[in-house]
Amino acid sequence: MSRTVLVFTEQKDGRLRHVTYESLTAACRVAEGGEVVAVLFGSRQSEQVEEVGKYGASRVYVVSHDDLHQYTPDAYKQAMLQIIGEVDPDAIIMGHTAIGKDVAPRVAARLGLGLITDCTDVCTDSGEVIGVRPIYAGKAFQKKKFIGKKSFVTIRANNIELQENAQTPAVIPFDVTIKDVRSVVRKVIRRSASGVDLSEANVIVSGGRGVKSAEGFRPLQELADVLGGAVGASRGACDAGYCDYALQIGQTGKVVTPELYIACGISGAIQHLAGMSRSKIVVAINKDPEAPIFQVADYGIVGDLFQVVPKLTEAFKRALEEK
Amino acid sequence: MKIWVCIKQTFDTEEKIVIENGKVDEKDAEFIINPYDEYAIEEALQLRDELGGEVTVITVGPDRAENALRTALAMGADKAALIQDPSLVGDECVLARMLAEAIRREGFDLILGGNFAVDSGSGQVAIRLAEELDIPHIGSVTGLNVNGRQAIAKRDAEGDTEAVESTLPVLITAQQGLNEPRYPSLPGIMRAKRKPLERLSAQDLGLSDSLKTKTLIIEEYLPPEKEAGKILEGDLDQQVQELVEALCGKGLSFN
Amino acid sequence: MALKNKAVGAHFLIEETEKSSLVTPEDFSDEQRMFAETTRSFIEKEVVPKDEAIESLDYGLTVNLIRKAGELGLVAADVPEAYGGLGADKVSSTLITESLAKGSSFSLSVSAHSGIGTLPIVFFGNDAQKKKYLPDLASGTKIAAYCLTEPSSGSDALSAKTTAKRSKDGKYYILNGEKQFITNAGFADIFIVYAKIEGKDFTTFIVERTMEGVSLGPEEKKMGIKGSSTRPVILENVKVPAGNLLGEAGKGHVIAFNILNIGRFKLAAGVLGSAKEAIRLSATFANERTQFKKLISSFPLIRRKLADMNVRTYTLESMVYRTSGLIDGALKDLDYSSSDIGWQSAKGIAEYAIECSINKVFGSETLDFVADEGLQIHGGYGFTKDYKIERIYRDSRINRIFEGTNEINRLVVMSTLQKKAVKGELPLLEKANTLKDEIEDLLENRPTDGFLKQETYLVSAAKKLFLLVLGLAYRKYGLNLQKEQQLLSHLSDLVIQIYAMESVLLRTMKRLEKLGSEKAENGLDMMRLAIFEGFDKTESLVKEALAHLEEGEALIRRLASVQKIAYRLPIDAIRLKGRIGMRVAEASRYIV
Ligand SMILES: Cc1cc2nc3c(=O)[nH]c(=O)nc-3n(C[C@H](O)[C@H](O)[C@H](O)COP(=O)(O)OP(=O)(O)OC[C@H]3O[C@@H](n4cnc5c(N)ncnc54)[C@H](O)[C@@H]3O)c2cc1C
Repeated sequence: MSRTVLVFTEQKDGRLRHVTYESLTAACRVAEGGEVVAVLFGSRQSEQVEEVGKYGASRVYVVSHDDLHQYTPDAYKQAMLQIIGEVDPDAIIMGHTAIGKDVAPRVAARLGLGLITDCTDVCTDSGEVIGVRPIYAGKAFQKKKFIGKKSFVTIRANNIELQENAQTPAVIPFDVTIKDVRSVVRKVIRRSASGVDLSEANVIVSGGRGVKSAEGFRPLQELADVLGGAVGASRGACDAGYCDYALQIGQTGKVVTPELYIACGISGAIQHLAGMSRSKIVVAINKDPEAPIFQVADYGIVGDLFQVVPKLTEAFKRALEEK
Repeated sequence: MKIWVCIKQTFDTEEKIVIENGKVDEKDAEFIINPYDEYAIEEALQLRDELGGEVTVITVGPDRAENALRTALAMGADKAALIQDPSLVGDECVLARMLAEAIRREGFDLILGGNFAVDSGSGQVAIRLAEELDIPHIGSVTGLNVNGRQAIAKRDAEGDTEAVESTLPVLITAQQGLNEPRYPSLPGIMRAKRKPLERLSAQDLGLSDSLKTKTLIIEEYLPPEKEAGKILEGDLDQQVQELVEALCGKGLSFN
Repeated sequence: MALKNKAVGAHFLIEETEKSSLVTPEDFSDEQRMFAETTRSFIEKEVVPKDEAIESLDYGLTVNLIRKAGELGLVAADVPEAYGGLGADKVSSTLITESLAKGSSFSLSVSAHSGIGTLPIVFFGNDAQKKKYLPDLASGTKIAAYCLTEPSSGSDALSAKTTAKRSKDGKYYILNGEKQFITNAGFADIFIVYAKIEGKDFTTFIVERTMEGVSLGPEEKKMGIKGSSTRPVILENVKVPAGNLLGEAGKGHVIAFNILNIGRFKLAAGVLGSAKEAIRLSATFANERTQFKKLISSFPLIRRKLADMNVRTYTLESMVYRTSGLIDGALKDLDYSSSDIGWQSAKGIAEYAIECSINKVFGSETLDFVADEGLQIHGGYGFTKDYKIERIYRDSRINRIFEGTNEINRLVVMSTLQKKAVKGELPLLEKANTLKDEIEDLLENRPTDGFLKQETYLVSAAKKLFLLVLGLAYRKYGLNLQKEQQLLSHLSDLVIQIYAMESVLLRTMKRLEKLGSEKAENGLDMMRLAIFEGFDKTESLVKEALAHLEEGEALIRRLASVQKIAYRLPIDAIRLKGRIGMRVAEASRYIV
């Protein structure tokens, strides 16, 4: 069963976001031979048209309106409803982003549609569109399907492997009317890069005795900055005076549960493990292949942290810029 | 001011998850108020104390959900309503319509809800509710001021903060950082017993089974077992590259 | 017998108790659960994160936290509503005390304030005193301390040397003396002080910190509960207004002992909470520590420890809530409009003085055991300050000492029992006369098999054995028995074992009825262990006592008869402990 799938794209700082490519990849799957239609908000940019074409869009609606520069639910909802009315898609896909999660439920409610949000995968099975999504904070997963013909999903970034499917899209400028925007954004304050709180950080880069000096924490901080994370330390590093006790993670320090924990030059004494073993993913970097930290690590690199960490910082920088 | 808070009683996510017949087994689970909804309750109570009026907490749920409402009453809410009807089982679409009916009947100036529920994680019901009631909403709010009929909110947009203005009535979804929810005090708990708690059925709301769910859960399952740790191999550059690729595919939220 | 519906302490010794009359944790109301939840959240979020500062004895912090606790009503449970409290039932206040326990030293400060510090005024204050002091105490804006112990009078509290001299105009008492080991002294505003008027009438006074002549000695350097303040309180010509005399002149001992009853019971509720925390810590550790390539929680010897810890704690929990239910029963029919309701309430509680002492002894010894085994599970790490179990181990120790040492409490059990018998409140002697028939009856109806029957039998048998030894002891020593401390202690231990076994049996049967056999399974396993181990102890105590009371042929006959009564097919404790230990390890916490 082939479908027309409408993808609402999203940009940040003038570039398409990674989740948009994922949405397009998912759309091609869901289309099952049908057509993928993309929507670009903003003035026409040939580069972006080409990009969405590369990932399978054969038609691109370019929507430009002053009220769409800054997201508001009312303006976006109106624009989306008008495009959906025009395209009449069988399925709608967008990112589960600050915008997607905020506007999709309104649009779905207005159209009386079911909506499956925050999907880490979208597929089809015997003619049905199926969304796979984490529940209970990722401790379990759920498969959901739609009742009725139309499907609408939002997808979580960084989960779908991109697949190209080159098309040369037809570009359709599209005018929308927007009125009565009831909430107005007066000001946007960009997030500052550093100063992430250890106990709330999603990513923690942590150093142990192997860091050797206060100075040695600098590359760790750089990696943490790139990842929007915080720096932590083992008791060994604190006792040696390399850093403040406020950074101590472990039985006597803080207990942390970030999504990613990168342990650098930490041997992995049981006191330390007590403070971080519930992290979602643990990466260990240590010279000693026998260090107990490797036993709790999901990924281990045996090597000198002063070589590994800077390379990691560079590689992450590149990877994240692509998004 | 008529303030409503939509809450959900959720599974405590600290608990271990057990799957039974393709569904999360909630038999022996501990239930709590969805943590994001606690921020919503706290904000409602503070606004009421500042501006006057009344806070009603409302939920759709089974009998046990009454405990969550009682807890909210113990925190200081004035009234509670529990919508419950076996004929009304459904997804976010159905839930939002039920809430809309119940709230519309009584009138409203401000509606608060959590950013999302930690169990289902869908984040739809409150925003759908705003659409059903045809009022504006501000999602993921970390700061809120109400001046007369004007609401000024700080909205968290992936780390950036937007200052958003809207007029009442408006619906707000609460994000972590909005406030520090109070504990129900012991005298509050004792008073809660005597506060009104209304039970509403489909018939009470004038709803029929024409309210159909639009999505269905096929199955629920545990994530694959954490794979055994892996010591990367190859030269250092290869190892670093492999690691970065592996991590980027895990749905982690960097930045 | 006519005793059935009347509140009579210790009547479990001579009668079978109806299980429906027993209060258990399974009976908590939603409201009570919410009280516990608020208490736990408060401790978890406000107190535990500041643990280090509290342990370094930061008075300001502790005072602030007591105020915060006060705002939530956590120190007001036992104060009547009319004076700014909650007037909550005892099951609720017990549950609150238990839920505070994770706060270590802070919990002790709170309990000393709301318990022994505040309750003397609740029970024995006149209206003016209650109006003046209780609202501030119930809200935590003022903090109380209890001053009974003196350097030369600890266990022998009534021999206090502090004096009170009436002023000529009768408006004041002048207090002089020194109190020792006073909890909360460092920051308390109000001191309940015991002194002898003109050197003889033991009397209680409300003394304020700001009164001239009140000063403090230095902080004790303690082994545990280091975050609580323990200092001497020195009274030098303190002018205490006559209106601050609490209760009646010469009735200080009534107040002291009544307050101790409640203090002892609350202590048991607190150690119950700590025991659960020790199990949680130890099970969690066992699930993190790997040796020989396996989690240590998978080793049968570690599981056995977890099982032992859990079973004792289950037993204690059953005892504590049973007792709180008994006390509520004694309080519920009182006339709350009468002016001496406080005295009446204290009397109601005093009815269960024996149960209070039982709880205190069994509770403090349970926590010592649990903390010790918990530390052992931690291995070398348990011996370091990095792990909280080390603290629990040290903190636990004081519980066998204060609120009356366990030796004193054992003696109290028997002396109170004797008083009850003499007063005719408890027909112990009559029972001794019919004992022979009753034992025959029991033996005749001894179950050969059957679910729960053997356990029920053993509890009844333990009661008979106790009465048997008691009768022989009286025959031999008469009133001089009170000098035979070793024997008294054995008898007291028998009483404690009986209460423990029966509490666990009845609770488990109630659970079975309520929850069905699947959900009650762990409880059933634990109950069987508790009863068989309790009965082993019972039997050896009885034998040792008999060997002292009888000799020669008579002894042989007695032992044979005991053997017959005590005959039982042993249970497979190894299997049961393996099962229970596995469940505790899996849950990573205390489980029923
Ligand atoms: C940290 C701490 C806090 C305290 N808080 C308070 C408080 O707030 N208010 C207060 O008033 N007191 C308080 N106390 C005092 C406490 O109640 C006493 O320490 C306790 O009653 C024991 O008295 P003692 O220390 O003088 O020991 P002693 O009475 O000298 O006892 C020493 C030993 O002799 C035994 N013994 C005594 N008499 C007998 C007997 N007749 N037969 C057999 N054995 C006997 C005891 O069991 C013990 O083993 C506190 C003590 C401590 C350590």
